[in-house]
Amino acid sequence: MKKSYYLFNPGRLSRKDNTLQFTPVDEQGKEGPCRYIPVETVSDLYVFGNLDANSAMYNFLGKNGISAHFFDYYEHYTGSFFAKDYLLAGKMQVEQTRHYTLRNKRMVLAQKFVEGAAFNMLKNLRYYNNREKDLAQIISQIEGYATQISATSEVAELMGIEGNIRQTYYAAFDTIVSGFTMVNRSKRPPLNEVNVLISFGNMMCYSVCMDMIYHTQLNPTISFLHEPGTRRYSLALDLAEIFKPVLVDRTIFRVLNKKEIQPNDFMTDINGCVLKESGKKVFVKAFEERLKETIKHRTLSKSVSYKHLVKLECYKLSKHILNIEEYKPFKIWW
Amino acid sequence: MYVVVVYDIGELRVARMLKLCRKYLNWIQNSVFEGEITEVKLKEMLSKAREIMDLDYDSIIIFKSREHKWLDKQIVGVARSQIDNFL
Repeated sequence: MKKSYYLFNPGRLSRKDNTLQFTPVDEQGKEGPCRYIPVETVSDLYVFGNLDANSAMYNFLGKNGISAHFFDYYEHYTGSFFAKDYLLAGKMQVEQTRHYTLRNKRMVLAQKFVEGAAFNMLKNLRYYNNREKDLAQIISQIEGYATQISATSEVAELMGIEGNIRQTYYAAFDTIVSGFTMVNRSKRPPLNEVNVLISFGNMMCYSVCMDMIYHTQLNPTISFLHEPGTRRYSLALDLAEIFKPVLVDRTIFRVLNKKEIQPNDFMTDINGCVLKESGKKVFVKAFEERLKETIKHRTLSKSVSYKHLVKLECYKLSKHILNIEEYKPFKIWW
Repeated sequence: MYVVVVYDIGELRVARMLKLCRKYLNWIQNSVFEGEITEVKLKEMLSKAREIMDLDYDSIIIFKSREHKWLDKQIVGVARSQIDNFL
């Protein structure tokens, strides 16, 4: 199985002897001992530090089908380098667009995304409710909202419900996480520690979804729940809805409750809060472990990793679009 | 599959072997590589290695382990290279 590589240290990545070479550079500009990365084992690169690279390296990445995702100082996602599309399918493109333009077809998919997301969020809450955290009220409130999903006829209306669900869900974070308070969801910039982790995690989840979509024939720009905009892979946002509770929120609860991330892993900036490199590393490591974790798949009757689940979701979506099998959103079944 | 690959190759050809192995596995010591690899990728690597090798003189030894966790690795002295995926 190919691995993701995470680049935190500033340095230079270059093509050398048909593989990748990474030379770390410290603050004084002094080069450290270089390390070779076996190119055959790389699935993608997540670049958090400053990276020096030239086009020969990118050409090489492109040839090997490796994508690189970039993040800025505030760990916002800034963009990706993708190898040339290698799975082109006109039929899929046409059908996907048709599912977007026909309102009833679009609503079916959009509702399923919200339904899956709500189900997975409830699953998280119930888990903690059984562990002496009183969340009964929040659970019943979300269940109430979830029943309204199927009655919606407009995407805007559905997004409203989705917003309500998420707001109620985030209100439970203060009960679940000990030692930190979240108060309200704040973005751009996130104002406190829990919000920083949510933003950071969501962005990681978004990149994973995007990468998986890239390896299927789906067009990442045509989405159903989110409005397809410009310069955005909005289909990844749709998919991320379902997986955020499973991948991101569980990881956040873990790192905070097990005290793997401490208050001194954060830095309070002039306006907002950022995760220090030490914190980033811990979180990414936990997230990576989460992605690698395997579960026994019921219908496939074999072990699959969480990361592969995202890809399976893309396959299910393709099948729905091509009218082979109706799409059922991923719901945690254990 | 997790493997440790050790080779003993004539001086003339050893650099090419080093470069080949670097593409598939992590370098840990002179002539020693280790890492996660699939059955097919290992086959691919070995077939390329055969082209480099003088089969009457050189040799490669592969230690296979089903998973990383079944491998008990102990280092005495200096660890030459990190092999994790956090750089």
